[in-house]
Amino acid sequence: MKIKQIKIIICLLLTAAIVPIAMDSCNKKLTEQPKTVNTVAMFQTAQGIQLAVNSVYSGLRYIYGPEGDNLTGDVGTDMWWGNAGGAAAAYQLSSYTFDYSDGSILTLWNRTFNNINMCNGIITWAPSITGIDTANILGQAHFLRALNYLNLVSQFGAIPVDLGSGDWAFNQSSFGGFNRLPTKDILTKDWNGIISDLIYASQNLPDKRPTAAFSLSKSAAYALLAKAYIFKGYSANAASTDWQNAYTAATQLINNQSKYGVSLLTNYADVVAEGNNYNSELLFAVERIPGDAGDNEESVYNGLAATSGGKDVNASNDYNMSYDATPAPVSSSSGKPCATRTPLYGRPMRVICPTKFLFDTLFADKTNDSRFDGTFNTVYLATVQTTSSYQSGSSYSGSFTYNVGDTAIVVAHSVAEYNTLVAAQLKSAKPYRVISPSEMPGINGTYPGSGGAAQPVLIPSMKKYWDSKRNNANEGGGRPYPVLKLSEVYLLAAEACLKGAGGGTSEAATLLNVLRTRAAYRTGLSSTDLATRVAALQITSSQVTLDFIIDEHGRELAGEANRWVDLAMRGQLLNRVKMDNPPAASNIKDYMTLRPIPKSELDNLTVPNASQYQNTGW
Amino acid sequence: MSIANLPKRVSPKIMIRAFLAFVFMLCLNTLLTAQTKVQIKGKVVDDAGKPVAGASVMVKGTTTGVTCNELGLFDLSVTTDKKLVVSATGYTAKEVAVTADSKTITIKLSQITTELEQVVVVGYGTQRKKDVTGSVDLVTSKTLKEVPTANFQNALQGHAAGVDIQTVGTAPGAGAVIRIRGVRSVLGSNAPLIVVDGIPYVGNLNDINTDDIASLSILKDASATAIYGSRGSNGVILITTKRGSTGAAKVNYNGYYGVGTVFNKYPVYNAQEYTAMHNIAGGASGVFQANELKNMAAGKSTDWQDLMYQNSLKTNHYLTVTGGSDGSTYSFGGGYYKETAVLPGQDYQRGSLRLSIDSKIGKWLKVGVNTMNSISIQKGAQFVSGSTMFTTLATSPLVSPYDSTGAIVFNAMGQGNPNDAQGNYNPLLLKNNNGMWVDRKRIIHTFNSLFAEANIWKGIKYRFNLGLDFSQEEDDQFQAADHYNGTTNPATNSNPSFFRPLNGNHAVVNNAETWSYTAENLLTYDKNFGKHHIDVTGLYSIQQQQYHNTYVSKDSMYSDQTQYFDMSQATPTPYAVVSGSEASSTVISYMARVNYSFDNRYMLTGTFRNDGSSVLAAGHNWHQFGAVSAGWNIMNEKFIKNSSKLGFISTLKLRAGYGQTASQSISAYSSLGSVTNNNGLSGQSGDMSKSTVVKYNYGTSIVVGYYLAGLPNPDLDWEYTNTLNVGLDYGFLNNRITGAIDFYSAVTNKLLFSQNLPTSSGVSNPYAVNVGQMKNWGMEFSISSVNIQAKKSDGFSWTTDLNLFFNKNKLTKQIGSTTQNIGNQLFTGYSMSSIYDYKNLGIWQTSEAAEAAKYGATPGQIKIQDYDNSGTITTADRHIIGNGDPVLQGGMTNTFSYKGFDLGITMYARFGGLLVSQIHQWQSSYLTQLDAGSSLGRNQIKVDYWTPTNPTNWFPTIANGTNGWSSATTAWQTLGYYNASFLQIKAINVGYTFKDKLMKQIGIRSIRVYGSVDNVGFLFSPYMRQTGIAPIATNQGPSGVSSPDNLRTGQNSITTISASTPLTRNYIMGVNVNF
Repeated sequence: MKIKQIKIIICLLLTAAIVPIAMDSCNKKLTEQPKTVNTVAMFQTAQGIQLAVNSVYSGLRYIYGPEGDNLTGDVGTDMWWGNAGGAAAAYQLSSYTFDYSDGSILTLWNRTFNNINMCNGIITWAPSITGIDTANILGQAHFLRALNYLNLVSQFGAIPVDLGSGDWAFNQSSFGGFNRLPTKDILTKDWNGIISDLIYASQNLPDKRPTAAFSLSKSAAYALLAKAYIFKGYSANAASTDWQNAYTAATQLINNQSKYGVSLLTNYADVVAEGNNYNSELLFAVERIPGDAGDNEESVYNGLAATSGGKDVNASNDYNMSYDATPAPVSSSSGKPCATRTPLYGRPMRVICPTKFLFDTLFADKTNDSRFDGTFNTVYLATVQTTSSYQSGSSYSGSFTYNVGDTAIVVAHSVAEYNTLVAAQLKSAKPYRVISPSEMPGINGTYPGSGGAAQPVLIPSMKKYWDSKRNNANEGGGRPYPVLKLSEVYLLAAEACLKGAGGGTSEAATLLNVLRTRAAYRTGLSSTDLATRVAALQITSSQVTLDFIIDEHGRELAGEANRWVDLAMRGQLLNRVKMDNPPAASNIKDYMTLRPIPKSELDNLTVPNASQYQNTGW
Repeated sequence: MSIANLPKRVSPKIMIRAFLAFVFMLCLNTLLTAQTKVQIKGKVVDDAGKPVAGASVMVKGTTTGVTCNELGLFDLSVTTDKKLVVSATGYTAKEVAVTADSKTITIKLSQITTELEQVVVVGYGTQRKKDVTGSVDLVTSKTLKEVPTANFQNALQGHAAGVDIQTVGTAPGAGAVIRIRGVRSVLGSNAPLIVVDGIPYVGNLNDINTDDIASLSILKDASATAIYGSRGSNGVILITTKRGSTGAAKVNYNGYYGVGTVFNKYPVYNAQEYTAMHNIAGGASGVFQANELKNMAAGKSTDWQDLMYQNSLKTNHYLTVTGGSDGSTYSFGGGYYKETAVLPGQDYQRGSLRLSIDSKIGKWLKVGVNTMNSISIQKGAQFVSGSTMFTTLATSPLVSPYDSTGAIVFNAMGQGNPNDAQGNYNPLLLKNNNGMWVDRKRIIHTFNSLFAEANIWKGIKYRFNLGLDFSQEEDDQFQAADHYNGTTNPATNSNPSFFRPLNGNHAVVNNAETWSYTAENLLTYDKNFGKHHIDVTGLYSIQQQQYHNTYVSKDSMYSDQTQYFDMSQATPTPYAVVSGSEASSTVISYMARVNYSFDNRYMLTGTFRNDGSSVLAAGHNWHQFGAVSAGWNIMNEKFIKNSSKLGFISTLKLRAGYGQTASQSISAYSSLGSVTNNNGLSGQSGDMSKSTVVKYNYGTSIVVGYYLAGLPNPDLDWEYTNTLNVGLDYGFLNNRITGAIDFYSAVTNKLLFSQNLPTSSGVSNPYAVNVGQMKNWGMEFSISSVNIQAKKSDGFSWTTDLNLFFNKNKLTKQIGSTTQNIGNQLFTGYSMSSIYDYKNLGIWQTSEAAEAAKYGATPGQIKIQDYDNSGTITTADRHIIGNGDPVLQGGMTNTFSYKGFDLGITMYARFGGLLVSQIHQWQSSYLTQLDAGSSLGRNQIKVDYWTPTNPTNWFPTIANGTNGWSSATTAWQTLGYYNASFLQIKAINVGYTFKDKLMKQIGIRSIRVYGSVDNVGFLFSPYMRQTGIAPIATNQGPSGVSSPDNLRTGQNSITTISASTPLTRNYIMGVNVNF
């Protein structure tokens, strides 16, 4: 018995030693103490609030530059159509055959509300945080919230201001509803909020932005305020004072350029030229770093950028022709001297292509007006040493070897130019391929359907975002993507004048002529030549109409993913699309001036009758 | 060896068997007579009269006993009122009464022939299979060795009813997906719990050496798994490792060497077919490159697969030494395994070392320790394997691999575009690494367990288990800069970097460590009261685990020589990309189990467990689980025993059980929500940049951003499953035919969903909530039969083991009133693996032109079913067209033996269900786009495409390119669905065991030489018949370039087939020697 007792004692001691140790800390151990998961308390410090602000700026990278933005911004307008050869959905969006499950419209929808919510949070938290520049932080948050709302409202109409925790309040509840009804009331709240946010921003942000960065400043706030008033002026919420308010905001900037550190550049092409990323004409741009995929949050797969999903500037690829698949010197030649893609020329996505209206009408004058050449690339140099056969009925036959840097492809500005160049270069010892407007889908009046344009797709490539510093031709660009430019402020001021503000059409003509005078400038022109061109481009007050201003928007801001909104907000989408975008003309319906609320949004609602929230018609 | 009266250490298993035998004998209620002391010199032999070395001879009711020596001899002094209990591993224990005549006695032990006599490891203990009331399968090491392979999952495939094992991937070191009785969770893991020697195993299953496994128990129903409570929902696999046994040291060597060849090549177009395809596809622009035209004229054709494939190698060496004396036993072993692939740049090797020591301290305390250590290196799995096949398959057969001097033509696709992935560089560059890339994963894993067991009081035992598991993994990647300058002149070209066309170098290092400990306190009580037997188990345990990783990647090292070793030797920009993560979790459990049996006829088991888990929301950590089950050994009833007509029945047992288990295998911190700087852009496999952090720059000043991504859920609760199981174990004709039939039904409640909030709520990530319900039910059938029983010990015998099973899965309830969640592929009333898409009815034929026109289609396009009869094809025509669940699956093993020869044939079959062949979904693979426009110089997987003169119903016409295949933009997805059925001869083994006499002279106890062939062939596979590709999954979930929108991603996704390292057939020769 004795031995057994000892045994029991030993075992019990053993148990007793181990169980309590574990027991004691039992519930403590079941409490998670994560190192990598934070709570919103993190934002309520001087350092944390800045991290929140940064994330909202970063969120803009989804909205300015990626493919979804380019498509919703430009295709299906008078100026651009979507080619299915690059992405099938582009054609559907462009021809208004898409439905509410379309992927492109999701980019804006899905990438905006969380930033709005963060702005609500910043505005709530900032006043009680010490050690920060409160006015500046709040100014930025108000501006960014207004910008995000304006982007949504101009595509989708009424947008909830109550995300689940009350109007303009930070939401952290699992809210499954959708405070969008009645849309009329919500729209009123939207517009009032946008305007008051921007007024706040224009009073609290610093006067100037840093010379080599795009932090927000008063210049951006005034520009966006002017734009918001103009848009509101056309809306159901219009007030009689909107035009005058727009004029006031715009001229505040135009008349005090040195105060706000802004000015128009002499040369249009320089505004978006590589290496001139922080010029004084750009009021606000969404930033990235050239050639730094990691810091640009680009999704890189085995050294190659993924085509979508990242935050890079796909606009540097989406508008590009298939230069790499283009034979030279004639279409039947065996060699393709640009077969090797280069970082400068980018990935030939050929998704967004100019319409005949853009090429023939908007830019009818490609000589006096430098903006066509400032926007589009028309000359490609050989990117790889290539020997190409050359048989096409000329004195020079056999084969020709392109060395890297030789002129390889020229996109003609007109049929006349094509005829001249072809005639000349067929006899040349250094022949290059000339592309005729008749070879350019869209521009030649034929718009390939759901099959897409045949390869190679020959079009003028929009080059505003080209970035020779990217690591690879297929990557997205890494240059700042303009959001607001001083030139647009001139257009907005002119529009306000047209609507009766300021000096009326006469002042409008003056303002427009500032831009048109600048448009005449090209480097290397003699002063007389320049004067002739300037004269040719001048307009008089009688020429100032809304149509003219909208056309001028097109010329000045082509390819900046704002055409659809510019037309839709001014009530000009339906007529312009019906007139100038053949594949879309027969499909566009009156209700399509608003985008549908995306399917995923409605699917995820946990309230009944989700379809009541859909925009009429969709 | 023959010291009498000294307590001998025997393995716990043997002891338990002896104990059970003892219990059995007690029931017979034998009476004993007067006692005198007898000195016994005995011998223990088997049926064939051969000595049983190491057999244990115990005096019943005492701890006195001895172990037989190598000749099966023992010495023991016993009184005649006692009985001897004789037992040995693999033999039925036997009791012998001691009489005055017992001085020289030969005891014959019968080898265990039926499964029912076997002792199976159940949760926290062992039971005779006969007494088990739950659904438990036992797989022995012999079975596992039928297919020589790196991991046990592969070896287990087809051997256990209800256990669905799908190999995923064909590359060396590839794993498998194990699902026991279907899936039960949408959000959580559906993988079973793996327990090694009582300790839950966290880590890579490939680190477990199959040679170390003595047996596997698979617990399938709630009554068997309830004892694992919170983690038993998905079934439990208990692995018992080999331990030592008393006796002189025994040495065993098992080694094999094998060569593998490509099972079948991917069908691609030959030069002629390629030419024909491109001639149709070409259109106006140039169809062929100059070099292609040259080779076409010369009649040259290149088979890139022939150039790339090589023989693979598989070798394994494993040496174990076991033995023991004076109450201590030991077993140690070391092994080396290596496997290379049929493609360059991929291999897997593993070294392992194991030691176990069991020791008896005094008369009442046993302690033991087991340590398993391995180091494994897997090469080529991160980016090499994913990049090799595309170029191999897609390079034009008309392109020359070598130039006139015999040098590799770098840019094989000539004027193709090197920017489009590695796509255009000559895949032969992969054959000579030359420091150009590193793709290496190294894992060091150590798994240790220690126990102490004390007999406290009559039948009361206390046991303490401690487990410590640590693994460290380093993943290295390096890709050299491209030094290809674009010319074809090798003299002016240094190395082109296959992986970095037109790019600088790139390096990645990821270090991850996982550690966990488990401490368990067990109290057991075991007692007989007449015909009543009761055993009680009580447990308290705690397990904690932690994971941490650090990831760094950097571009632009100054020298390729640096590789990934020092990333500071690089240009300052671009900056290094860094990331890290951490997760820790704890489970605390209290458990009690009572087994009661009466008269060997009625068995009852009750289990209760209370678990606390840290991964659930505070206040919801604890949950109670219970299960009851009962068994009825009908065989032992008088009406059968005494029946002359039912004499053919030798075993009949009915089992029924009902209970609850749960799953808490969701990620740590799921309930906390997240404020994060993770931008959600990572996750693409092979993504080398991992731009995972929210960043922004104000000019050159780069900053990081944090935002609210996920909501906390303070109500996150357990997901639990109620399971009903009814089973019948049977044996006929003296157990020549044995088997089991099981029916089960399991309902999972409070299903964890990852709920998407409407984006307009301002919170972007889905959050975890408990809503919904899922049901699984199925049947399992297994039969083992000795078809021909050997008349003599070395006569001809033939046995068959067959198992067949099916599982029906159905989601019965979702969030709120939702019945279909297309985005997440969840459909109430349908299986989790449902495929929601258009129905492909074939191809519009010329004769159907008028009807096709109604749908805006032309002959040659895909004919999509107008499911809603709307007259147009819209997204509303998508519906559930099938699912990935097999209707029936199973395995069969036939074993033949004659004299020293043995032959085994293992077959495996799945019938029904759809498979997703991403190879045939062109946007996933770019291998079936049939488009010469963008695929100039690219070959394709061979498919039968439609032309006006070839009215096939498989692939559409080439004419308009892929966008012209249908008005439905996702119609290409429908080209990837095939019947998944197949019947495979998985392996054939032949062995010969040499006779004792010959070997003994050279000191070898036994020697077996064997040969095996695996992946012998498919007797039936509609997919393979149509496409020429083996129906073996290569991936789990979408794996394509751009994947179809209807495949769920993550751990609960369907398996898919994409272009991957081809299936390999291995020819293996091996030897197993016992010294």
